[in-house]
Amino acid sequence: MGRIIVTILLITTALWASDVNIYERNCVECHKNLPVSLEKFFFDYLLKYSSERRVKQALRNYLKHPRKKASLATNELVEQYGLMPKTTLDDEDLRKAIDIYWEKYKVFGKIE
Amino acid sequence: MSVSNVTATGINRSERITLIRFVGLYSFLVLMILILGSTIYFKLQKDLMLQTKRLELEEYSKELIDGLKLLHIYFDHYRTYPRNPLYRSAIYDADHVRIFSTLKHPDGVQLEKVIYTTDGVIQYIHVLDSYYLGTKYTVVEIDDDEKWFTAAWNNILLYGGVLLVVFLAAGVLLMRLFLAPMRNAIHLLDRFIKDTTHELNTPVSAILSNIEMIDTQKLDPKTAKKVRRIEIGARTISTIYQDLTYLALNHKIVSQDRLIELGPLVQERIEYFKILGESKKITFETDIQPGVKLYIDSGKMARLIDNLLSNAVKYNRRGGEIFVRLRPGELLVQDSGIGMEEKQIREVFKRYKRLDSGVGGFGIGLSIVAMIAEEYGLTIDIRSKKGQGSEVTVRWDA
Repeated sequence: MGRIIVTILLITTALWASDVNIYERNCVECHKNLPVSLEKFFFDYLLKYSSERRVKQALRNYLKHPRKKASLATNELVEQYGLMPKTTLDDEDLRKAIDIYWEKYKVFGKIE
Repeated sequence: MSVSNVTATGINRSERITLIRFVGLYSFLVLMILILGSTIYFKLQKDLMLQTKRLELEEYSKELIDGLKLLHIYFDHYRTYPRNPLYRSAIYDADHVRIFSTLKHPDGVQLEKVIYTTDGVIQYIHVLDSYYLGTKYTVVEIDDDEKWFTAAWNNILLYGGVLLVVFLAAGVLLMRLFLAPMRNAIHLLDRFIKDTTHELNTPVSAILSNIEMIDTQKLDPKTAKKVRRIEIGARTISTIYQDLTYLALNHKIVSQDRLIELGPLVQERIEYFKILGESKKITFETDIQPGVKLYIDSGKMARLIDNLLSNAVKYNRRGGEIFVRLRPGELLVQDSGIGMEEKQIREVFKRYKRLDSGVGGFGIGLSIVAMIAEEYGLTIDIRSKKGQGSEVTVRWDA
């Protein structure tokens, strides 16, 4: 019985870790080298798009088709580091990565 | 004899019906106008109050947005929502999802409006251009002291009450103005009848008494026939005179009710009308049971019988028949005349109603019958078929 529980826990942790890895591997990995944090970008998206649905949609559109016009980064940042490359993730992984990003920085339930 | 007394019953009844209908319709319209006016006034007062409060709420909203801006910038350092004891607030995102709220009634928020009252609070909605913390809508709420509400209702009740009285007074005045021509016309007609009645009395009495004194046996047949015709004419006028006198003096004469034997009275009246019937070659058949009695004024009973017989003669065909039957609790007069339709039967008791303008009279006969019947609790049943004659039955508790 104990073995089964341990196995389930291991599988669940592994799955979660793999999802987290999608975000960590594909987003944090590059952004940690930039002077502007992912949190700052998140709040810029929030400032422009307001709701969860609209923020996620805007992120998805931008990651699939990065354009300077659609970028929320400053001109200086773009000139120095260039526009981010088009995502290589499939739709499902991209959705998972964006969901993790939303959950990490969302303001719901955090305001006191 | 007073004219107003004479006509009081007739005019007042129709006046009362007209009055009730007019007052009903007029009151309904006045109430509609007052309700409409009050609604507009109430809404204006509410809008005025909301406009006044809006200035205050806009200030609170600006203060809230400033707080949100700071919170957005320094969210990684502190996360305390900007609060103020003067108002309560809430923030919503572009998809109307509530981000945070200190409202009393957060579920009733109407984000499509600007300012409104609900459940004792006033809520003001402001739409942001920059969505701090994702906020597109800020809602600022204060308590509604409802002073404006009380003041508005007091004014509506006070001015509405005054207006209602003014409208009703104007209505009564208008009604009097509109009724005046009708009242005058009826007064004129009744006055004319009254005057005519006076003028008829002496000559008719003179004619009848002198005819009775003539010994027709001594006259040659042609002259005797002419005298007979004069008598018929005089008796017709006399009957009309009796009716008009009854109408004119109805409210002045004190009834002398007593238990009377109806048989002889009915027979006497039939004999009287036989002479009138002769001109149309109408034959009378009777079935009178002796000993039938009724507690009534004999003069009024005579008027009742006369009018039934008079109509039976008047509306009968030439060579027709009239059948009169008297039984305890019932007097029936049947003719073989023109008859009536259903609709006409319902109208025969109206004063001045004449079914056939080709025959004489004023249309007051059955109106008198109805008045007497009402006074003594008699019921009148009319059965008639167009072209086959009519049957009038007077019933009473034997």
